[in-house]
Amino acid sequence: MRLLVEPCNQLPLVNVAVSFRGGRIHEPAGVSGLARLTARMLRRGSEGMSAEAVEQGIDRLGGEFGAHVGLGTSNVSFEVLTRNLAAMVDLVANLIAKPTVDDDELAKLKRQSEAETVRSRDSDSFLAGRALRRHLLRDHPHGRRIGGTIEEVRAIDAEAIRSFHAKHYSSSNAIVSICGDVEADAAEGIAERLLAQLPAGESIEYPATDPPPPRGRHLVVVDKPNRTQAQMVIGTLGTHPKDDDHTALLVANTAFGGSFTARLVQEIRAKRGWSYGASSLLSTSLVRETFSMWTAPATRDAAACLALQLEMLRAWVAEGIDQDELDFCKGYLRRSYAFEIDTAKKRLQQALERELFHLPDDFHERFVDHVDAVSLDDANAAIARRISADDLWISVTATEAAIGTELRDAAGPLVESIVDPYDLE
Amino acid sequence: MRHLGSQAFGPNMSVERHQLDNGLTLLLLVDDAAPVICYQTWFAVGSRHERQGKTGIAHLFEHLMFNETDNSPYGEFDKRLEAMGADSNAATFLDWTYYLENLPKEALPLVAELEADRMQNLVLRDPQVESEREVVANERRQTVDDDVDGSAMELLYNAAFTVHGYRWPTIGSMADIQALTTDDCRAFYSTYYAPNNATVVVAGDVDTPSLLELVERLYGDIPAAELPLEDVRPEPPQTEERRLSCRKETDSARLFIGYKSPALGDVDHAALTLLNQALFGGRGSRVHRALVQKSELASSANGYVGNFRDPSLWDMLLTARDGCTPNSLLEALDEVFEQVVGEAISEDELERARACIELSALQGLDTVGGKAEQVGFFETVLGDPGALFRRLSENQRVTRSDVLRVARRYLRRSARTVVEVLSEA
Repeated sequence: MRLLVEPCNQLPLVNVAVSFRGGRIHEPAGVSGLARLTARMLRRGSEGMSAEAVEQGIDRLGGEFGAHVGLGTSNVSFEVLTRNLAAMVDLVANLIAKPTVDDDELAKLKRQSEAETVRSRDSDSFLAGRALRRHLLRDHPHGRRIGGTIEEVRAIDAEAIRSFHAKHYSSSNAIVSICGDVEADAAEGIAERLLAQLPAGESIEYPATDPPPPRGRHLVVVDKPNRTQAQMVIGTLGTHPKDDDHTALLVANTAFGGSFTARLVQEIRAKRGWSYGASSLLSTSLVRETFSMWTAPATRDAAACLALQLEMLRAWVAEGIDQDELDFCKGYLRRSYAFEIDTAKKRLQQALERELFHLPDDFHERFVDHVDAVSLDDANAAIARRISADDLWISVTATEAAIGTELRDAAGPLVESIVDPYDLE
Repeated sequence: MRHLGSQAFGPNMSVERHQLDNGLTLLLLVDDAAPVICYQTWFAVGSRHERQGKTGIAHLFEHLMFNETDNSPYGEFDKRLEAMGADSNAATFLDWTYYLENLPKEALPLVAELEADRMQNLVLRDPQVESEREVVANERRQTVDDDVDGSAMELLYNAAFTVHGYRWPTIGSMADIQALTTDDCRAFYSTYYAPNNATVVVAGDVDTPSLLELVERLYGDIPAAELPLEDVRPEPPQTEERRLSCRKETDSARLFIGYKSPALGDVDHAALTLLNQALFGGRGSRVHRALVQKSELASSANGYVGNFRDPSLWDMLLTARDGCTPNSLLEALDEVFEQVVGEAISEDELERARACIELSALQGLDTVGGKAEQVGFFETVLGDPGALFRRLSENQRVTRSDVLRVARRYLRRSARTVVEVLSEA
């Protein structure tokens, strides 16, 4: 067991998380959703407690309980009023070690998950983002739907959940993080009590490999009737925090679409009023994640907006950023770093990321130094090395009959153009 | 600058109240846990102050406040903030509009200078107004026109209120947004953006004497305005249930209900909020247990008691499972409501509701931004910056009888508005 602690006694709250090495990457092929279903079954009954008793117990203590999965981990967390910490620890210790995995409760959870999947079709931006990952990351675990598809979830049985739980939910495989109104020397006792009922087990390895990069320019239109607007995402692979040029690309992205004064906001929102939001994002994870650009123009402006974004991307890749942009973005990142570490929760999250992503102990501590060290050549070389304006996916939720042809014309030479129905998943 | 008093903000913090001769109120909460500050400016104007044909002007104007001033060309506002590592945002709702900056402590003089400048020297020109109208139109497409919940909520408020300004959608109707002129915006600015209609809230690592000197120097000469008498029209009692139906592009039918609810300052508000928590707050609540877990008619069920200056709505949103109609949801919901009207909720339910609300309130105070927001919100709506903690104390005094009383007073079918959303298909 690894323990991370960040005390802060300003508010009478304690936040505790247990991360088990066992996430989407550890699911058997074709069983996407198993890790998430396992995590969500924890609160659906444990030894001596029905699902209803669990929920009422959490509420009674002024607690909030969450269970979510990442690429390499399943994370159980809770926040509770300090006065009820001990009781909450006992409750959660029971939940994580002794879930009953009752067949009726599992069937209910699967039907609930299905209903949530259907409801997710109402979010056009979610559909665009999901289609991007489905196509860009394809067979990589990153490309799978976190909760699995409806068909995959229907096929998961109680035995599969018990087996996933038995393999991954063990004390040797756990990282406990505690922050808030707790003394550092009390944290170890809390962690031990939390994991006391779990088997020792063994530490699970991460079989993580990077997704393959895209080749050529692709377009997917997620076809949904009667849209007045297009939700557009353009994406390719980015960097891993361990890459030597990660910070340089982060600085360059800040100039392109990572702040409110960046190029994308100025050209698309401020000058033309084409989209409420316009941004680009360099995501990070256990393996190489995506670089993506997001806009939401009206249907009539979508093709023009797409063409402009692609031209801006081409210019950024071909010509890079200039010295003024570099200096400005370095200053912004250096000074705004105070907001990355202003709360105990954020500092603890950084420590957890270092642990989970196998980053050096001083990775965050030296962030500002790394930013300061980025030269113009570094930034522009990182863009040229990592990003291609020709090898990417464009994902648009829109009404195909209304603007599909215009989008394909605006997208330039495509190696692939497909239309997915919005209810594909 | 006059010091008008000090008020406790929870057990460990306090809010200092100061005022300038021109009526500007300054509320200061010193929190030196991190070298950061949140600077907020709250104006007591929101969409309730709008009139037919000019809906959306409070929100459009919020966007325009990021434009040029007599002293600062277009684009400089954001650029100067980001150069110091600060970022900014704003929000508009029924009763208020507020602007915020999150900043490293070193940027305080700059932020105060920029805020004082745009309170008195904003320049409004046609090109910026036209561009920002397009941005807002796209925001409306994203959050209302192409969004099932956004569009249904707009219908609900418009039907539930017949004369009060709460019937206007804060984002504005599309026709009104596109018809607002630069002169409209100038008139709005000169009417409502004055020091005697504003409260500056500063939370964070602040040196008090320096801040007081800064605010007096930068804001002291801004003249007070003669604020117009608000033409407020109390909503007449609703005596008949109102029902609307609409069709949307969704695979998940919805039910929206708005019961008339008391103003935030009303003696009934705390008890009704506790009742809402017992009914809708989390998975152990009555409605969730009955409709989501047991009968599986709904995939989600949420309720929210309006936190507004005048009586508003206790709105509820339920999402139907496949094969379930909004009407069958309503019938099942009415059965749950009949129980809480017929018999008081249990002491255990009341205690759980108190604990959950306390947790939620404290969670919102993790950052300086969260603290400033609570201070500014309660000051602007109730004139009491510490009302958050007063409410938590009130919750302890609310009895089961109080909850029964408000259930009977507000859960009246004749005073509710129902919007059902059916699938277009």
